[in-house]
Parts: sequence; structure tokens; C-alpha cells
Amino acid sequence: MSLVRNGREPADAPLLELVGVRAAYGGIEVLHGVDLAVPRGSVVALLGANGAGKSTTVKVAAGLLPPTTGKVYVAGRDVTGASCHDLARIGVCTIPEGRGVFPNLTVRENLWMATQVSGRLDSLEEGAYARFPLLGERRTQLAGSLSGGEQQMLALSRALVTDPAVLVLDELSMGLAPIVVQQLYDIVAQVAQEGISILVVEQFARAVLGIADRAAIMVNGVVAHAGDPSELQSELSSAYLGENE
Amino acid sequence: MSERQRANHEHSEPPAAERIARLEQEAANLKVRNSAKRDGILQAVGALVMVAGVVVAFVAYQLSLDKADDRDIESLIILAISMLGVSVAGAAVFLRYSLARFLRFWLLRQLYEGQANVDRLVGALGQPNSSEEHEVAGSGGKS
Repeated sequence: MSLVRNGREPADAPLLELVGVRAAYGGIEVLHGVDLAVPRGSVVALLGANGAGKSTTVKVAAGLLPPTTGKVYVAGRDVTGASCHDLARIGVCTIPEGRGVFPNLTVRENLWMATQVSGRLDSLEEGAYARFPLLGERRTQLAGSLSGGEQQMLALSRALVTDPAVLVLDELSMGLAPIVVQQLYDIVAQVAQEGISILVVEQFARAVLGIADRAAIMVNGVVAHAGDPSELQSELSSAYLGENE
Repeated sequence: MSERQRANHEHSEPPAAERIARLEQEAANLKVRNSAKRDGILQAVGALVMVAGVVVAFVAYQLSLDKADDRDIESLIILAISMLGVSVAGAAVFLRYSLARFLRFWLLRQLYEGQANVDRLVGALGQPNSSEEHEVAGSGGKS
């Protein structure tokens, strides 16, 4: 069986692609055939109400949850079943829901964790603090004692110092004030301009649609609508409120 | 050291095309092992071998009781003891792969509880001391 997506040159393939992905927790299937693609250099927003299956899609894309059926491709190569650390090593970096920083380590020590992939701590710190000066001021502070927004910045900086080609962000805005969310999405927009392809999973559509090149709306474990963000405004209310079309 | 690590050691900000080329190359070289599926299969195989070993050992021993020829008895007893060995090996495989799964969940639980404890501690440190507040309020009222 070929590991490369049929009928498509690797150079044209999206950097991250899910094809017909079904996934389950125990016997309960939550994804019923998700098709989603993150083209090169683009920001794709995956939207949907609570319980639509967005975070499960992220888990499958990140290698945290193997799909029951369907395929996951990275740059046209079938990586279905690859572990999350393998995907992170090759350049698909995920920031999970709830930030995923080590609360009882300092900011510096959290960045230190990224040296497993990316080399020397001093050069990593230099890059991280240049992008997030606030973290530089708090380098010796425990990550658990940072505010939610600062923790999210730390998670972002730790991901970015590994120089990923694809960044998967799960619920960046969770538990944060709107002004902080706006600041974070400004940073995500800068990151996108640097050519990093981004899949953003977000419950609050307004925050992410401003920076997205494409958007997909999940309803009950499937991608119900996908397209240009401006085309999907009308679909959003039905996706979130459950109205009949 | 991977290409990614080498590139980062050079302290340069790679352009997007280079980053993507690196991803393509590393994805092409990635050896995908479905460890969860393999663990499940090995756990089942371990359990099967453990049970089968005990059953065959018991049957061989029972058969040996009906034999009159010493050579038959010896052969069956050797088979029974070998099967007990196989059963022990099966139990080891089963434990290895069931414990690995258990320990992963245990590690996740430790991480989660550690985070919850730090959150509680930070929450408690962030709250103003209620008795001090009362004192300040009281002294303010007197003056």
C-alpha cells in the first residue's frame, strides 16, 4: 500500500490533511468521517459549538488519538497512527486545550523542555523573549503563577521555538479576557505571516475569522461547511444554535 | 541529530519554503509505528499464551496419569513443565503491556493533579487575607 496520497504530487499536497477520519472514545464514536485540509502557508479555522468534535479532531491530527478509520497525511505522506512526539519532531506542533505548560516549572524551565527538539536554551530564550518580552521579565516565575494569557504566550513561545511547519492550536481563547484573546490572535497572525501553516480550533468564531484564510464548521462530529470565512457567516448561527437550514 | 535540530543550532530564522521542505523530508523518513494497536495485540497474545500454557500443562499432566510407559510419562511431564514456563512468559508479556497502558494513565493523572494543586495554591495566594481586610475596615471606621 502506498504511503503517499493517491493521485497527488507531494508538492501540491496540503501540509496537514485528514481524510474520512472516524474516531471514538471506547465504544462511543465522536468523529463520523472528518475531511479537513490545511494548505501550505494558510490559516484554517475549525469552528463549532461545544461538543462538536473539534478537540477530538485536534487529538487525531496531533497523534494523540488514533483514528478508528480514515487517514492522516502530513505533506502528502500517510502518518496515520504516528505518535504525537514523532509528529512534533517532524514539525507538526500542537498546543493543547488548557495550554499544556508545566505549572511547577519556571518560564525558563518550560522553554528548556523545547531544547529536546531545538537546540540550545540561550538561543531559544533569545527568540522567545524577543517575541514575548513579558515572558523575559518573568523568566524565573513559576508558569502556574502566570495569568492565563501569559501561560498561553508561554505555550505559544515554547511551540514556536521548535520552529514548526504546522501549528495546531486548540481553544486559544479558553478562559481569557477578550483583549488578551485579541493580543494572542495578533501574534498568531504574525506567525502566519512567517509562513507557518496553522490550524486553529476555536469555539468563539469572531476571534479567529479575522485571521483565517479558510474556515470549516463542525457539527456533530462532521465538517458540515467549509470555505472562505466570509462565505460561512450565515452558516455559523445554524451551527451554533442548531437552527434548521 | 535531525535536520531540524541542525538548522536551529545555526540560529537562523529559516524561510517558509525551507521549513516546508524540511517537513516533507522528515515526513518521508518517518517510520510510523502504531504502538497503541501493537500494545493491544501483544497484551491479548500474552493473556492467550498465559491461559493456553496452563491449560496444556494441566491436560498433559492428566494424560500422564493414564500412561503406563515411563517414557510417555516423562515426555508428558516435560511438556507440562514447559507449558508452565510458556505460561509464565505469557503472563510477563501480558503484564508488560497492560502495565504500560496503566502507567501512562497514572502519569497523566499525576500531571493533572499536579496542575490542579498548583492552580489551587496560586488561587489561595492570590486571594486577599480576609481577616486583614476586616481589621483594615475596622480601623478605618474608628478613625
